Amino acid sequence: MQERKTYHSICRMCGSGCGVDVEVENNRIVKVSGNEENDINRGRICIKGSSAATWLNLPERLRKPLKKTANGFVEIPLEQAMDEIAAKMKELQDTYGKQAVAGWKGEGTGFNQNEQLMRRFNRAIGSPNYFSNNTQCNNSRYEAFYLNYGCWPQADFRHTKLAIFWGTNSPAAHSFWTQDLNEGRDRGARSIVIDTKYNEQAHIADLFVIVRPGSDAVLAYGIIHRMIERGVVNQEYVDTFTLGYDKLKVYAERFTGEYVEKITGVKPEVIETIVDMIQAAGRQVCSWPGTGVEHQANGVSNSRVCSLVDALVGAIDVSGGMLINENMKTNSLVLGDDVPVEGEPIGKSVYPVVDYFKKESHTLMLMDTILTGKYEGRDYPFKGLIMTAADPVMTEANTAKTIQALSSLELFVVKDLFLTKTAELADYVIPAACNYARDELYFNGMEQSVYLAEKVVEEPLQTEYEFLKGLADRLGAGQYFPWKNEREVIEYMIEPSGFTYEDLQKYPSGLRTVLVHYHKPEERLAKGEKPFPTPTGKIEICSTVLEQFGYPGIPTIDHLPDCILQKDEEYPYICMTGARKIPYFHGRYRNIPQILKAHPHAEAEMHEADAEDLGLKEGDMIRVTSRVGSIEIPVHIMKHDTIARSAVQITHGWENANANYLTDDSDRDPISGFPNLKTFGIRIEKL
Amino acid sequence: MKAITIDQKKCVGCRNCEMACAYEKSQETCEVMFSNIRVSDYVGRGFVVPMTCFHCTEAWCMKMCPAHAITRDPETNAVIINPNRCAGCKMCILSCPYGNIHFDHVHMVSHKCDLCGGKPRCVTHCISGALRYEEVGSDGLRYRKDVLPEETRG
Ligand code: SF4
Repeated sequence: MQERKTYHSICRMCGSGCGVDVEVENNRIVKVSGNEENDINRGRICIKGSSAATWLNLPERLRKPLKKTANGFVEIPLEQAMDEIAAKMKELQDTYGKQAVAGWKGEGTGFNQNEQLMRRFNRAIGSPNYFSNNTQCNNSRYEAFYLNYGCWPQADFRHTKLAIFWGTNSPAAHSFWTQDLNEGRDRGARSIVIDTKYNEQAHIADLFVIVRPGSDAVLAYGIIHRMIERGVVNQEYVDTFTLGYDKLKVYAERFTGEYVEKITGVKPEVIETIVDMIQAAGRQVCSWPGTGVEHQANGVSNSRVCSLVDALVGAIDVSGGMLINENMKTNSLVLGDDVPVEGEPIGKSVYPVVDYFKKESHTLMLMDTILTGKYEGRDYPFKGLIMTAADPVMTEANTAKTIQALSSLELFVVKDLFLTKTAELADYVIPAACNYARDELYFNGMEQSVYLAEKVVEEPLQTEYEFLKGLADRLGAGQYFPWKNEREVIEYMIEPSGFTYEDLQKYPSGLRTVLVHYHKPEERLAKGEKPFPTPTGKIEICSTVLEQFGYPGIPTIDHLPDCILQKDEEYPYICMTGARKIPYFHGRYRNIPQILKAHPHAEAEMHEADAEDLGLKEGDMIRVTSRVGSIEIPVHIMKHDTIARSAVQITHGWENANANYLTDDSDRDPISGFPNLKTFGIRIEKL
Repeated sequence: MKAITIDQKKCVGCRNCEMACAYEKSQETCEVMFSNIRVSDYVGRGFVVPMTCFHCTEAWCMKMCPAHAITRDPETNAVIINPNRCAGCKMCILSCPYGNIHFDHVHMVSHKCDLCGGKPRCVTHCISGALRYEEVGSDGLRYRKDVLPEETRG
């Protein structure tokens, strides 16, 4: 009988990074449980985390490289695949220029280290681009936080007195925040959930406020307006640490109770209650904008204004507020501007703020560039895409266009664990080693700790590092990948911190690299330093970066979706997509049999009164049609006013009812270029 | 004595406990009908609570079972149904005052929580911290914990 061994590692079934105990028998993962010693999740994990033991052992896991031929996919040896891919990349670069080929990083096998590696790879081969799904998830908030604070602060739910959740459902998205908030509640914390739909988070909220889709920021401004009028702003803090408060004050004036109620559906007395709760919490407030507010046509502004609620009471870098986190020094894998590239990054000229903070190209514009051979009217051949563990056919706005674009590439390579819908379009499919088959460095911002997401099994499959290094070597860029394996990569990364790989191994439940301490901006000010890492050193309510690029400096909500201003007769319902379900992560895990049995299909969630108007009963099939496309899907009726009227929520990631056949890639946030996934008109027919 | 305790006000109704239990016991599905723990979500009243066997000191199910299929595990104190002895008469289901015994229509036997041999899978999947597996008093109530002084971090 084989011995069973337990290893500590980090879960990669979603992006939260829970600590796990992985039991391995005969080089096979047999059980995954929560690691009790890990301070992040304290022994508790979600069903996705433990289901890794099934998912990673599924017989459908890709084991052999595949090449597409006239007769479909055929298996070929890995070395042959790598040689052929590299040769084709070289040919495309020689024919069309270096900008014609680039890599796109997905999230199936790793965290930030894989992102850094892909960025490094792209630059090493001379590409000006780097792609990832952050084009439509995360980047808007990244920019919002960086515009406001010059960094991404962390919410201290464990010690807060008031948590405000804007369009976010942490039980599904960051499971351990639920524990954190409950710990805070043990100490007297309260919470407010503002959403278009009752969710798990709302179950423990003191106040649940339903808003109309796309109107969150109008409510946020309504709150700020009343905070100002009632003197619930920490004036001394605002005077010392912020820039542009007076402009915000003037802009906020238009958000009267009457106007806010008209747009959001929220009554003035509810706003008073919210302001009362903010007032009672002092400086211990966390106002957290979720993906719900960023997936909109005003995504960056929405996220900025929601996040300013706590800044106005001075809840920044205080216990129970928003931590300005520090971390140990590391070497970045990202190559600098001294390594030359050819051509312009796709999206940079249109969304310069994204480039300013994130140096990331725009995937929606990539699809147009592939299809037209032009970027902003200029010739731009883009012919080859190397994609690791991403599934844009399920997740990218406008699926039909995505499929058309990816299918028309001269070289499309997908490296993944399974033959996804996206992989089916590829010329080469390379099986990926899973996260538990290679080491990665993982950081947690709130704990300010570092972890070794440790390798626990040997898989005879290529890791992402080996893949990218293998291609770079063949393309004459091998000097940028001098490390033999992931361990050496990690050793290089942590070298400036003074910690060693052995230290990480010795503390598999996390190593606190920098102890959390607060009031750093006050300390910096006293020392004559810049309190915040923004250009002016202040919290930029009025952003100098935005002004530099010709945008209004304060978060303006100028482009409210037409459909919330007046009913569109042709498309009378408002569709929202992107809400996560607990057992799934975006396009993934529909192939885990036990989970699929419990959650077998997509649903269009709608208000019972709307269902009644349409003559629909639970489970009835409907056809949902937007300006872009149409899908067929069963109805789920939300009772007890748990969803906004006229709103329909469809979670993405289902092959047979793919919500992204409905989403419009051209309706975008002016700053980040995010597609509007939360407020697009649809019509509904009963089938 | 250790028991699963439930802090109702922390539950978010995520149902990870149900899914984890169903899979642990069936090894093939997360469907709630195979779970020993059940989440009741009264959406209209804003009330949600997970319910699972209390392993009562005076277990009526055990007394009632005509097949003597229900016994107490001396190590974990769990009240356990032996499916090989269970005749499927459902008397235990009727006798449980809390509705914590369920019927498996595939194998035609009753099933209930057995504390997973002392490592309850539902608790380790309770992401909210509402469920705990902890030492309790003889009355089954959670020990009163001294409230820790507020950490002075800031
Ligand atoms: S929330 Fe679930 S899937 Fe995400 S890291 Fe934690 S255990 Fe894994």
